[in-house]
Amino acid sequence: MKDNNEQLSTLIDNEIIDHEVCESQLLDELITNKRQQAQFSRYHLVGDVMRGEVVDQFINIDISQQVMARIEKQAESAQVVTPDTPVYAMKESNNIVSFAKRFSQYAIAASVAGIVVLTSIVTSQPGIENNEPGIEVLNTVPFGGAVAPVSLQASHMQSKQAIKEHNERLDALLKDHQLQLQTQP
Amino acid sequence: MNERDLDFQLIQRIQNGEQQAFTLLVKKYQNRVANILTRYVRNNGDIADVAQEVFIKVFNSLPSFRGDSAFYTWLYRITVNTAKNYLTSQGRRPPASDIDAMEADSYDGSDALKESDDPEGILRSQEIKNVILDTIKLLPVELKSAITLRELEGMSYEEIATIEDCPIGTVRSRIYRAREAIDKQLKPLLED
Repeated sequence: MKDNNEQLSTLIDNEIIDHEVCESQLLDELITNKRQQAQFSRYHLVGDVMRGEVVDQFINIDISQQVMARIEKQAESAQVVTPDTPVYAMKESNNIVSFAKRFSQYAIAASVAGIVVLTSIVTSQPGIENNEPGIEVLNTVPFGGAVAPVSLQASHMQSKQAIKEHNERLDALLKDHQLQLQTQP
Repeated sequence: MNERDLDFQLIQRIQNGEQQAFTLLVKKYQNRVANILTRYVRNNGDIADVAQEVFIKVFNSLPSFRGDSAFYTWLYRITVNTAKNYLTSQGRRPPASDIDAMEADSYDGSDALKESDDPEGILRSQEIKNVILDTIKLLPVELKSAITLRELEGMSYEEIATIEDCPIGTVRSRIYRAREAIDKQLKPLLED
């Protein structure tokens, strides 16, 4: 007992020389032995009081247990937050989720674009017979046939018949163009 | 920090995952941390809480502590920063001037404690202080001299041996005997 306490006294003064193994064993014991820890605290208290480094209300308080309890609690909560799933699996699932998310965004964008294109095709082909009075249109009749007037305003829905007629005119225009090409030298 | 330093060894163990070694650092420095905090924290009831915060921060920061400076210097900085954060959280302004780690050792913060709410605790603490100081007065001269040179002057065993003109082993024994004599009176008070 005396030897242990004397070693402890020497240890806290950092004066153990050339006894590395002995010092390590002493520390092992000190870390686990409550009686030695109390002795360690009292030896330090003596020095603190001699140097006037104590607060009256604090001399009797030992916060080491509360601090260690908080550290353990902190470690436990860190373990709860850490998932069991391996990191590589998490990365893989993250990739799948991000791919699906990106794919769905492209799909939505493509659908919207498709609807816009179809709507514009349908609404930008006004039937000549359905032109309402008062709407300003630019009537241009190109070479080779009549074409629907151009307007920024398309207030009416085009009938299927109008589309069919438009396509027939377009076909006729193309045939005419091909014939002209064939007749040229 | 040299490798013989107890703090250095404890920190190495903590950094290697031996969490329980931190208990010893807390036990060793809690009074000094509380003493520094009295300069900033006026409510006694809060000193223990803020001191706990200090040690939690120290523990969390230990993995990055490289030992370029003494552990106490590093601990002192964390203590002052934590105290200032505490004052800010309380809506108070931190003091304009700081005391450094060396001044803090001799700073008597007891005057700063204006809101003492535990007279019994104060009496008990004074009793503990008196027992320690009275026992030192009654020690044989060679023991008193050895413990004083060590604790107040911070001298090494070798330096004390030179001054006292005796072998280092004798210094070691005298310091131990002085501590044991004080501890004999102190232990019953703390175990009540």
